[in-house]
Amino acid sequence: MRERIEKLKAKLAEDLKSTSDLKELENLRVRYLGKKGEITLLMRRMGEVSAEERPLLGKLLNELKKNAERSFVDKRGEFENKHSADRWEKERIDVTLPGRSFSIGGKHPVTLVLEEIEEIFTSMGFKIAEGPDVELDYYNFEALNMPREHPARDMQDSFYINPEVLLRTHTSPVEVRTMEAQAPELPVRIISPGKVYRRDDDVTHSPMFHQVEGLVVDRGITLADLKGTLLLFVREMFGKDREIRLRPSFFPFTEPSAEVDISCIVCNGKGCRVCGGTGWLEILGSGMSHPHVLRVSGYNPEEVTGYAFGMGVERIAMLKYGIEDIRLFYTNDLRMLSQC
Amino acid sequence: MKVPYNWLRDYVEIPYSPEELANRLTMAGIEVEDIQIFAPLSDKIVAGKIEDLSLHPTSNKLQLVKVNAGDALLSVICGAWNIKKGDIVALALPGSVLPDGREIRIAEIKGISSEGMLCSAAELGLELNGAEEGILILDEECAPGTRLADVLFVNEPVLELELTPNRADCLGLLGVAREVAALTGKKIKLPESAVEETGRDIHELAEVQILETELCPRYTARVMEGFKIKPSPLNMQLRLLSAGIRSIYNLVDVTNYVMWETGFPMHAFDYDKLQKGRIIVRRAAPGEEIVTLDGIRRKLDPEVLVIADDRVPVGLAGVMGGENTEITTTTKRLLLEAACFNPMNIRMTARKMNLPSEASQRYEKGVDPEGPIFVQNRAVRLIQETAGGVICRGIIDNYPKPYSMPRIELRTSRVEKVLGYSVDRDEIEDILNRLGLNVRFRPAPAGLDAGSSPCRTSTGGVFSVEVPSFRRDLNIEEDLIEEIARLKGFDKIPVRLPVGVLTSGRLSKERKIMDKVKNTLVACGLQEIITFSFINPRFFDKLNLPAGDPLRNAVKIQNPLTEEQGVLRTTLVPGILQVMQYNFNRQIDNQLLFELGKVFIPPVGKEKLPVEKLMVALALSGKVPQYDWQVPPGTIDFYYLKGILEVLLENLGVNDYRWEQDNIPLLHPGRGSRLFVNNKETGFLGALHPEIAENNDLKQDIYLAELNLEVFFSAASLIPSFKQLPRFPSVYRDVAFVVPQSTRAGDILQEIKELGGVLLEDIKLFDVYSGKQVPEGRISIAFALTFRHSERTLKDEEIDNILGAIEKQLSQKYNAALRKI
Repeated sequence: MRERIEKLKAKLAEDLKSTSDLKELENLRVRYLGKKGEITLLMRRMGEVSAEERPLLGKLLNELKKNAERSFVDKRGEFENKHSADRWEKERIDVTLPGRSFSIGGKHPVTLVLEEIEEIFTSMGFKIAEGPDVELDYYNFEALNMPREHPARDMQDSFYINPEVLLRTHTSPVEVRTMEAQAPELPVRIISPGKVYRRDDDVTHSPMFHQVEGLVVDRGITLADLKGTLLLFVREMFGKDREIRLRPSFFPFTEPSAEVDISCIVCNGKGCRVCGGTGWLEILGSGMSHPHVLRVSGYNPEEVTGYAFGMGVERIAMLKYGIEDIRLFYTNDLRMLSQC
Repeated sequence: MKVPYNWLRDYVEIPYSPEELANRLTMAGIEVEDIQIFAPLSDKIVAGKIEDLSLHPTSNKLQLVKVNAGDALLSVICGAWNIKKGDIVALALPGSVLPDGREIRIAEIKGISSEGMLCSAAELGLELNGAEEGILILDEECAPGTRLADVLFVNEPVLELELTPNRADCLGLLGVAREVAALTGKKIKLPESAVEETGRDIHELAEVQILETELCPRYTARVMEGFKIKPSPLNMQLRLLSAGIRSIYNLVDVTNYVMWETGFPMHAFDYDKLQKGRIIVRRAAPGEEIVTLDGIRRKLDPEVLVIADDRVPVGLAGVMGGENTEITTTTKRLLLEAACFNPMNIRMTARKMNLPSEASQRYEKGVDPEGPIFVQNRAVRLIQETAGGVICRGIIDNYPKPYSMPRIELRTSRVEKVLGYSVDRDEIEDILNRLGLNVRFRPAPAGLDAGSSPCRTSTGGVFSVEVPSFRRDLNIEEDLIEEIARLKGFDKIPVRLPVGVLTSGRLSKERKIMDKVKNTLVACGLQEIITFSFINPRFFDKLNLPAGDPLRNAVKIQNPLTEEQGVLRTTLVPGILQVMQYNFNRQIDNQLLFELGKVFIPPVGKEKLPVEKLMVALALSGKVPQYDWQVPPGTIDFYYLKGILEVLLENLGVNDYRWEQDNIPLLHPGRGSRLFVNNKETGFLGALHPEIAENNDLKQDIYLAELNLEVFFSAASLIPSFKQLPRFPSVYRDVAFVVPQSTRAGDILQEIKELGGVLLEDIKLFDVYSGKQVPEGRISIAFALTFRHSERTLKDEEIDNILGAIEKQLSQKYNAALRKI
């Protein structure tokens, strides 16, 4: 009996070694451990063994069974691993090949900058107001305190359709249109993005360009509120380290008027080629709404005050993207647009 | 406006360096654009004294000159002959560099060494009058060896002002000096203007008559005689040059010099050429002409104000004098004009004649009406200093309505209301005084402060401010408030944010739709472009538009920069095609473009403004995907474009739309469709007409669409409405119908939809086939149908019944046969 156990043990080891796949292994398992398996049969025959030998042989046989069971589990695991590994190897792909060609389009850089400006101001509670590109002389000039032959009209050489109608030279007419529509409701808090037109064409001037106008009218609005609003805007737009500088200036429709400079975004105010060595970049014009403008638009300048500002979108886009020729925006070279 | 720093110091003490002055002026609103050194000269160009002259031993065209250079006696060869022993001359020492870049070295000239060079004015970069030829001879008091730059004051820093149109007062150095005085608190120093009148009474000689007092509110005249016309003294010439004015000769130079000092233009007439010594300020008669000082004959009309003598115009008022009364070297007597003219009229004349001048530039912005007398006196004094002569007794001053100083009320409370911070009453007074304004203060009665600023009633009140004639830009209270803020410094403005009622900054529905259109098209792979709103009217021909086509009816620009920008666009197509062409020319074959923008339709009836319509245009060409190692490139065609539009419509929540094949002007006659949304024509799409492509040198196939975006403002719905998720399974069926080739797939699709009714949840056309499996002249169209009942599971028979009905209908109406698949 003992001999048979030993033999079986050796045979099992041999058989396990020669199995090559899961199916053979399962057959083998049945052959040894199945209901009619050799180990099972042997165990049934333990009754034939003498009482003295039984404990020892029983122990040996149990060990054989346990070991066999473990061997089958181990071997099965081994085969399963090998099987997966083979499959994985077979299904391997070259991950360095390029991905499927998708192409997403893009927005024009002017749109991108406009959207950023709009996002900042709308989040501060400014509504977006719009007006016509072709405007009455009245809204473009007269209501803005620039009567006919006012020398300030020279600052903005205009495209005329007829003596009364022109392509707007700035977005400021929307100020008057908005107030006219809203008066006497308070507060007025708008920005107005849009195209404007001036008879100029060179590296820094395009006959068509974009502006964003801003206007706040309410009781108690002061120059300090203007400064605060613009500082907030500038830091959102150009980074939290930016400083602003207000310089007295002149616009017929604001009084007092100020040009607003920001510390140069290239050299941080140290002075470089971009800022012409001054450390400052001029980015927008602003001021307190002129009483004339408030009055013709339906507000009493004794009761309410307002501030207004206007900025050139291309100018900001040029600074942000490092573009040196404004005309590039309207050539629409796809090699340039696709970079934005 | 050029402001030579040291010249400015004649009129006001400047405790700042040129750079600091520039910065302070800029921060006070007088922007200094630039500081340039007038005519930088090398330190090694010095004054030299000629000690001896002799002929060059081998050339009779050259002289050998011994020059005392202060610390050395140099031997210099010179080719000029205007020098003599004892002259002080400009000497360039070895190692110096002339303004034109020439380097001076010890050189041998015809066998003799020359240890430097004597220089002419031109060689020093100076365009002086009377010294054009020969060596520049300096004042004999100059010590040999002195740096020439110090003698001539040419290393003068010149500030270039970029003035805003309201600050015409700073178009004269005295105005700038006033500004400096306001910044520093110093007093300005007026230049000498005392005169000694020893000649005849002016009224015996001249007479001034103003016929148009609206256009000429003041005219003054002085007469001088016995002067000597010659080049101006060197220092006056140099000063004028540093301000950018060329020297002519003394009389004219003085008028320019005084204009630069005061900002007040002057004109000098040759008195003896004035008929009867009369000056008449009048409108030009119809058909009248004048030859101006630039030698050009100009036709005049009654809108032009002229200065005339007894017979003819002798000058365009405020713009340019006439040749007929020009000062020449033979002039014996002169009549000096200092007058005020209507700015608008001068502006108009200068424009009409295309004659912008230093004078007209100042008149257009308005000159100081109280200026003429001082200006006259200053000028005749300077003429006497530079040219000698006798000043006639008296000034003719025709000044019907003298200037009276307006008063502006300035409430201290208003200052705070506008600026956002309070300024002390004393400080306000100090600032206004520094500006040269006279003020009177009236304290507000306690508790009744005009601006109701209760805590400041102790200092609150009203200033009554007198505005002098040289600051007529100050008209309202806010102007004075700006002056206060300006001189305190805008950096003193505190930083605050507006408080008040909260407002919503949400985008309007229209704006959201526009954004959604852009975002959808970008996601579909399209690049946004922006083109000019104006186009070349000739483009309409290139688009083969028939004569009466509404797109040809465009708004014309009266004064375009070029014909290419002659009219406002009525369609976005020309712009987008031009961009395509530009990029094709740069080897970019794959182009998926869109533009969202306005088109302009001329107004009708009483409307003054054109109708502005928001459109979106798409233009596609090339292959997609362009490069892919798995997917072969598909050529962009009609259906690619249509697919994008369908995505767009779906994204905008538009369900009610249809396509209608039509012959559309810009498109291939067989490949164009109109889009109707809610039964409203919304736009077109299709292949660009091959002939139009040819007209525009476009060799590629281009697919175009242009839609009226405004239709979507009402048709789009941005809020999706959700349906319950289905609780019962759906049934899928694929069916194909064989139909005659000419059948339109859209009709079949529509028919199936209608017959499928509520149970037909979805229908997709997935195949169109013609070939072996179907008879000649027929095509097979296959659909994938999804059926579902919302409240129960559908039975096969129900589906079969529906399909049977569909088959029957299609076979009757379209001669269709069900194809087994």
